[in-house]
Amino acid sequence: MSINPGRSEDEFRSLVESLIDDPNQNAGLIKLLGEDHAIYDQRGTATVNRMRGWILVAFARKQLPEAALPFVLEELDTGVDAYVVAAAASALRTYPERNPAFAPFVVRAISNIRYRDENVSLHAYGGFAIGVAGTSPVRELLETLVWLGPSARAVVADLTTLRDGPTALGKKYQTHLTQALEAIGVVASIEDDCCQLPESVRGIFSSLRENRTSTKQLDSTLFEDQDGTSLTFEEFFHGRPSIVAFFYTRCDNPLKCSLTITKLARIQELLRTEGIADQINTAGITYDPGFDLPERIQNYGRHRGVKFAPQHRLLRAPEGVDSLRKHFKLGVNFIESLVNRHRIEVYLLDREGQVAASFERIQWNESDVVGRARELLTEYENRNASGVTRSSIASPVLGSTVALALALFPKCPLCWAAYMSFFGIAGLGSVPYSPWLQPILAILLLVNLASIWFRARSTGRMTPFYLASVGAVALIASKVFAGLDPIGTAGVICTLAGSIWSAIAATNRRQLARQ
Amino acid sequence: MTTRRKTAKKTKAAKKTTKKATKKSTKKSTKSTKKAAKSRPSARRSPRAALAVATSSKESSPRRIAALQEVPLAVCENDENLNSLLNILRDRNEPIKVRLAALQSIQAASFSVIAFESCRPDYLAALREVVDDPDPELRQRVLGILARENDSYVQQRLLDGLQNPAKALVPPEKALQLLSYDVHAESYSVARDIVDNPPNPDAKREALRILAADPNSAPVFEKLLTDKDESREVRQISAAALQATKPRRFQERARQMLLDKDEYDDIQATALTALTQFGDKEVGQDQELMKQVDKLGKGKSAKVKKTARRFLMRYKA
Repeated sequence: MSINPGRSEDEFRSLVESLIDDPNQNAGLIKLLGEDHAIYDQRGTATVNRMRGWILVAFARKQLPEAALPFVLEELDTGVDAYVVAAAASALRTYPERNPAFAPFVVRAISNIRYRDENVSLHAYGGFAIGVAGTSPVRELLETLVWLGPSARAVVADLTTLRDGPTALGKKYQTHLTQALEAIGVVASIEDDCCQLPESVRGIFSSLRENRTSTKQLDSTLFEDQDGTSLTFEEFFHGRPSIVAFFYTRCDNPLKCSLTITKLARIQELLRTEGIADQINTAGITYDPGFDLPERIQNYGRHRGVKFAPQHRLLRAPEGVDSLRKHFKLGVNFIESLVNRHRIEVYLLDREGQVAASFERIQWNESDVVGRARELLTEYENRNASGVTRSSIASPVLGSTVALALALFPKCPLCWAAYMSFFGIAGLGSVPYSPWLQPILAILLLVNLASIWFRARSTGRMTPFYLASVGAVALIASKVFAGLDPIGTAGVICTLAGSIWSAIAATNRRQLARQ
Repeated sequence: MTTRRKTAKKTKAAKKTTKKATKKSTKKSTKSTKKAAKSRPSARRSPRAALAVATSSKESSPRRIAALQEVPLAVCENDENLNSLLNILRDRNEPIKVRLAALQSIQAASFSVIAFESCRPDYLAALREVVDDPDPELRQRVLGILARENDSYVQQRLLDGLQNPAKALVPPEKALQLLSYDVHAESYSVARDIVDNPPNPDAKREALRILAADPNSAPVFEKLLTDKDESREVRQISAAALQATKPRRFQERARQMLLDKDEYDDIQATALTALTQFGDKEVGQDQELMKQVDKLGKGKSAKVKKTARRFLMRYKA
């Protein structure tokens, strides 16, 4: 079903009511929860909150389908708007199963919203409570804990602290807290698998991409880093795996962008501790490049502990927001250039800059991301292990064979005659004179040189490449100018040495990565 | 007379009334506070006793105001205390001085975020009830509190008032100022309309302040900055806005303004200060500009001389 993005809020309200009344249209309603849905384009944050809250209220009236569960849990995990959080808490109670994994989300939501608590009305679109009527997010969350009952046993300690601890909830909520604790009942031992979300939901929060999309469309996209240095997507993201987080400095939800960049700084620390900080890039890309100028992102990162280095940068793409949105399928929408709503999103890119894994919507764990990045590093090594070993052997062999062939290749028919007479003495018949062989050998020499260059770039050791280059130049010179045969021999030695050195460096690096 | 002019006239009248009322009310408040201080009993009473006086309609206003100043710590002790104060705040039949004192008392209690936690929902909901109050001072104070909470109900009401002056709760410049507390308040397009067609100079100034964080408005600021017919204040706001969103463009414009012999002194001083604070190394390598600033440093205007000296200190060092 196509939905006209230009609908008024009144029309949107009616649309949601009609969709919820038709069980076949639930999918349409869930689609409307996508942050990037065109219906949220060019609307303010408050409007987007009213709209999304109303969808959750609609689910709260019927039943929360599994496909909408991630959006509800996301709201509990990071939401700070009273109406939307209250609606999410209320909607969760209509989920067919009381899953113990919900309880930590509910308790986290109480911590997030308690000092922003206010009266809302879940009976009206927008839900402003005027006067002292209505419910409140904290009340709804406590009711959800009552609904969870014994399934909330994992959070008994947190609830007891909320009732009796130094930062106990206000008196007004003490009765609700007691009710929740009574509903949970006596706590038996908690099984290890008490807090697993349904597999399908976990897959949305953290996923591996088997089919990776090429970055061709994005490779030339120009970025500017925190120092104002310009570089393309290809220049920064090709060659090493990368951890990429999205943010913007004007984000006013402390549980989203600010925390994301703080965690990115912790990731950098973990990478340094593991000694792989120079093998994995980290980048924060702003959604709001118009406002987030280099100086602004630099301060934002520095205040959150980010340590800048050539492989660790905060970036803005002044002209490339649309390409980024398309490539990463970003969960973000805008009013003019300002973000009106976004989800948490962190991506792991492989050495070609392709999205290999993602962590979305809810708070992610830094160690999980680093672990996944490490897997990506070794995945590449393993995948190419046999191929690389072959090439590590093949390269010096190819290099030296070509170099030798080129060195010994006769310059003219007269030389060929001399060779033939020599081989004749050796008992050979005849060697055909093939002038076309010389350029082919020269091309093969250049191919060998290119392969050494690629290897040198990935290992960061350029000396083998320089050595092989000198050898190639010497070889070609000895073929072009007469009387330079000793230089040709030196060229063969240099090419051979460069090829072997390059292969050894690559092998050492692989072993280091495995360790 | 065009609708816009009529609206501007209406707004001006509303602004005058608000100013008068605020002045009067402040005068009255000061007087009543003095009276309240006089009527304050020498021995400190318990919060419960103070609350009893504060909520009693039989007591005089000064005594009630004095009692209200003593109750903030007790406001959130129980629902009853809070409700009794919220009732005073909401009741249009109560003397306005007492209502303002009740608001001040609850506001003081709200500073203790942890203690006030459970009172907050009812407090905010009660404030929303008062945004339409006929008393302009109370209305404005309540709108201010809710706007600082990024309350979307109030933001919507303020936007409605800017789009339709008949629904305005406060003068447009005040509404814009309150909306500027939240960058996500959907106020850019309304602010742009006001810049194009301002009901008064103050509203234009406030609208420009909102747009100063909008990179899409940089061309507007560039135009205003170079327009010598614009007021100095507008040009200075434009300079700050352009520097914040397009620093390179600002640097170019600032250079032009400094090289322009007919430019106003204070605008040149602003350009010099901005370049001193935010300019890049290239500024110091611009010989023509350096020469001109040297000249400005020997000119008549004390302000320009001072800023030119600072500029030269930075770039000649």
